[in-house]
Amino acid sequence: MRLLTRSSVRYWLGHRLQTALSILGVALGVAVVLSIDMAIDASREGFRISAETVAGRATHTLTRASGDVPDRWLGVVRRDLGVRLSAPIVEGYARSDLVSGRTLRVLGVDPLSEGPFRSYLASAVNDRGMGRFVSDPFAVYVSSVLADGAGLTVGSDLPVTAAGRSWILTVAGIIDPIDDLQRSGLADVLLMDIAGAQDLLGSVGVLTRIDLRLDDGVEPTLDRAIAAGLLTADASLDPIGTRSETLSGMIGAFDVNLTALSLLALVFGMFLIYNAVTFSVVQRRSLFGRLRAVGVTRGEVVRLILREAAVVGVVGALVGIGLGVLLSRGLVGMVSRTINDLYFAVSVRGVEVDPLLLLKAASLGVGATLVAALPPALEAGGANPRLAALRSEIEVRARQWVPRIAAGGLGAAALGGLVLTVPTRSLIVSFTGLFLIITGLALATPGGTLVVVRLARPALTALLGVEGTMAARGVGASLSRTGPAIAALVVAVSVTVGLGVMIDSFRGSLTRWLDGTLQADIYVSLPGATPSRAAGTLWPSIVEDFTAHPAVVGHSTYRGQRRVEGGDVYDLVALDLDPRGEAAFAFLPGSEPDALSRFRAGDAVIVSEPYAYRRGLDVGASVRISGEHAGVDVPIAGVFRDYGSEQGTVMMGRVLYDRLHSDRGITSLGLFLVQGADSEAVVTELLRSVPEDRSVIVRTNDTLRSASLEVFERTFRVTAVLRLLAFIVAFVGVLGALAALQLERGRELGLLRATGMTPGQLWRGVVAQTGLLGLAAGVLSIPMGLALSWVMVYVVNKRSFGWTLDMRVAPDILLQAVVLAVVAAVLAGLGPARTMAKTRPAVALRGE
Amino acid sequence: MTPTGPSIALIDVDKSYAEGGRTHAVLTGASLTIAPGERVAVLGPSGSGKSTLLNLVSGIDLPDAGTVRVDDIDLGGLDERSRTQFRRDRVGFVFQFFNLIPTLTVRENLALPLELKGEDPGDRIGELLAQVGLADRADSFPDRLSGGEQQRVAVARALVHRPGLILADEPTGNLDVDTGGVVVDLLERLVADAGATLVVVTHSASLAERMDRTVRVDRGQLVST
Ligand SMILES: Nc1ncnc2c1ncn2[C@@H]1O[C@H](COP(=O)(O)OP(=O)(O)OP(=O)(O)O)[C@@H](O)[C@H]1O
Ligand SMILES: [Mg+2]
Repeated sequence: MRLLTRSSVRYWLGHRLQTALSILGVALGVAVVLSIDMAIDASREGFRISAETVAGRATHTLTRASGDVPDRWLGVVRRDLGVRLSAPIVEGYARSDLVSGRTLRVLGVDPLSEGPFRSYLASAVNDRGMGRFVSDPFAVYVSSVLADGAGLTVGSDLPVTAAGRSWILTVAGIIDPIDDLQRSGLADVLLMDIAGAQDLLGSVGVLTRIDLRLDDGVEPTLDRAIAAGLLTADASLDPIGTRSETLSGMIGAFDVNLTALSLLALVFGMFLIYNAVTFSVVQRRSLFGRLRAVGVTRGEVVRLILREAAVVGVVGALVGIGLGVLLSRGLVGMVSRTINDLYFAVSVRGVEVDPLLLLKAASLGVGATLVAALPPALEAGGANPRLAALRSEIEVRARQWVPRIAAGGLGAAALGGLVLTVPTRSLIVSFTGLFLIITGLALATPGGTLVVVRLARPALTALLGVEGTMAARGVGASLSRTGPAIAALVVAVSVTVGLGVMIDSFRGSLTRWLDGTLQADIYVSLPGATPSRAAGTLWPSIVEDFTAHPAVVGHSTYRGQRRVEGGDVYDLVALDLDPRGEAAFAFLPGSEPDALSRFRAGDAVIVSEPYAYRRGLDVGASVRISGEHAGVDVPIAGVFRDYGSEQGTVMMGRVLYDRLHSDRGITSLGLFLVQGADSEAVVTELLRSVPEDRSVIVRTNDTLRSASLEVFERTFRVTAVLRLLAFIVAFVGVLGALAALQLERGRELGLLRATGMTPGQLWRGVVAQTGLLGLAAGVLSIPMGLALSWVMVYVVNKRSFGWTLDMRVAPDILLQAVVLAVVAAVLAGLGPARTMAKTRPAVALRGE
Repeated sequence: MTPTGPSIALIDVDKSYAEGGRTHAVLTGASLTIAPGERVAVLGPSGSGKSTLLNLVSGIDLPDAGTVRVDDIDLGGLDERSRTQFRRDRVGFVFQFFNLIPTLTVRENLALPLELKGEDPGDRIGELLAQVGLADRADSFPDRLSGGEQQRVAVARALVHRPGLILADEPTGNLDVDTGGVVVDLLERLVADAGATLVVVTHSASLAERMDRTVRVDRGQLVST
């Protein structure tokens, strides 16, 4: 259909604003989806690659659930299990001022055992002779990537801090990565001799794990060695990757939440497209009618519109891919930072452009465009060859449809509500429910708008006179075109409200929780792999000194361990709780009244809400805790509120921990001061007693509290960016739709001008009309925003992270919503109003 | 030349429009037969149902009751797609309000029926445009033309693909006497060449006189005179 194509090309060229907006809609949607995808993917990849590079050709690893592996197990593996190819590994984290902001991964290896495992190391060492490496335990090998970044050469000093102490390492050699995988895998790795690494990380006599290389099908069983007392009961032999897979699974909910948010941006993009295409169809109604009268079939018209949409989709997707790649560069930092803060240490070097992701985003964009264009395309196919389908008829029909669509929408929303009641923890189901509610309420907005406008009409007339009445009538009379624009605005504003309320509620719940949970006056810990997570073991001497300070009247000790057992990750905490700190726990209803005393006595454990929720456990159920020698089944005596770990925390009395482990270490310490003591001053005094080469973090209650809130704010930065982007998409959409609407009225307004309306009157009329639309949208978005907040706070958040928030609605968020909507709409009206007021009536009247 | 145009038969046709809950009957039990190649003028006051009649004959609209037959084809028995096909292959329609496609030039407007039918335009468009006196406006868009010029393009478009049935709704309504005469001459000549059947709605007595027969729309009935 050459001529038909030509006709549509001319139409779109003649309506550049509409064309640009549709393309922008797809492009922004695609860009947001793609960039989030890429950022998360880059973080996952970074984690996987470094795990793989470090693992080399190992097939299995031997680890121990309750902690580190004793050195002597290596002998057991080689002698008693008969595994010849095995290598001991000590792993941990360090930081260096030369590469500030990055976490370095310390990998301690035994060069003699390395050959079959990590060839890059073996060859690097062989090239330069092993002498240095073995003779100087603080010699390190670094990759050329790190060396270049930190300005290191062979022989340079590399100052680092690890486990709270400062060290000067010497660069013994530089490894040239053989491929890109190695390049990123080794980028942040410090390779050292195992003895040096043990010193550095404060893990003398123990290993992190033992790597094994087993032939296919030969997997030794540990049972006999355990029975003979050579290994402990909590030893576990797993295929390589199991652990890192389990760890990377931790970000599942985080991933889904961000993806859902990014999809929302795409949905807003669809509104934009739907709007523009619908608009183009409405405008060309008579044209399509004429084509039909001349003999163009209904199918040909539908296909024509879909072809137009496909072109818009493809162009938009291409632009979106470009934008998305750019955007991902900004987002990846935020995403990986959050992952570092909340889940595990990961270093992301850059964003790979994965063709598969591009293809996925592009097809999502084109698909969304076609779906959005389908209703208007079918509508166009129905264009009446009788040519009697006048605007009035369309609007009359549209108004007949408004209540039906509203009823359907409310039905869809109710269905969404029903979906949410399905007792499942599946996020897909939850988001389906949420999206159904959003879509349903969006469909109900045109009906709601009519109601709002009817209510506002008397006030508007009183305020603006004739122009006010005209504006109100205009909204009702052009609902077929304004409807989708208002719906888009309402959805965008209410999503903003919903997210705002959710973040606010989160902040409120967290603050209250911190207030309760941080009972001690001073907290002491070592710097961990990431600033927000304590790790390592405090030196007993420091613990002694600190607790002996005259101002200290009591203390709690805390031993934390991240446990990966089977497919499960959780935090295990052993607590020696000072009676002054008992108020720290806010137990949920159903907890036993004597939970704390049973916990103290070691008869029972208490678990955090996310732990219980994720595993479907309740008070009375028992959890299995593996100890050094045997596992025990301990009942849960209470479930407490906690926002510290999404994976969940099991807390046991120190008594029980000591019964299960020989470890007597302490991860952090809470100090209670005498009444009236100045905690700042005490902190200064305590720090003064710490030896020069050691670093201990000593913080007052207030500092720790604000540091925790800072992590929270950082965590929500990505959400805030997405919220903003989604809003921009919707805002642009509304702007475009309303502007196009007003421009389309050009002829009508020209007529009004010709019959004597002044430019000022026209100006006021147009702005009043779009402002009214904005007001309607703002008012409607309040109930919708509240409904969305409720779902996000009580359903999505709970199912994603396992914790319950207290919903808190700040009135200013609602007020902002209304103001935002009105401003968006008025802005949308200004441009066209000016153009129209300036246009000479003769020009406006001319033409079709 | 022997006629190749179709015969037309309307049998007991009812047509009414619903508007705001009220129905408004336009045709009630209207019947009419037109022989192949016959040229018929339709007269009647404004609002009597002349355009409605042409819409029914072209299959653009369907009767509420009764039959509309063109040759052996019962239009009511065709599906939407076949009716469209019928129109594109066999009908040339000069609409009362021209209905040119605003996004296509004059030449392209004329090419459209040919392209839909799958025919090669050759020189036909240029010839027709010359005959209606618009050879120099071939590349203008319709909204640049005056009302009468648009009407002449509409006539040319209705004839360009040599349809067997030509329906013209006041083809000279906007034209001065001289130009109107030229258009009617053209219409007559092309109809004669093709042996087409012609139904023309007009208020002009002189145009009606040049037809074989006149039909009057009178209170919902079709009365031959
Ligand atoms: N889509 C419609 N909806 C409602 N009424 C209609 C519609 N189309 C036509 N009518 C009515 O049907 C009647 C006949 O209309 P039609 O267009 O056939 O008249 P006409 O004889 O061609 O008049 P004119 O000479 O003014 O063109 C008129 O009263 C008109 O108002
Ligand atoms: Mg008429």
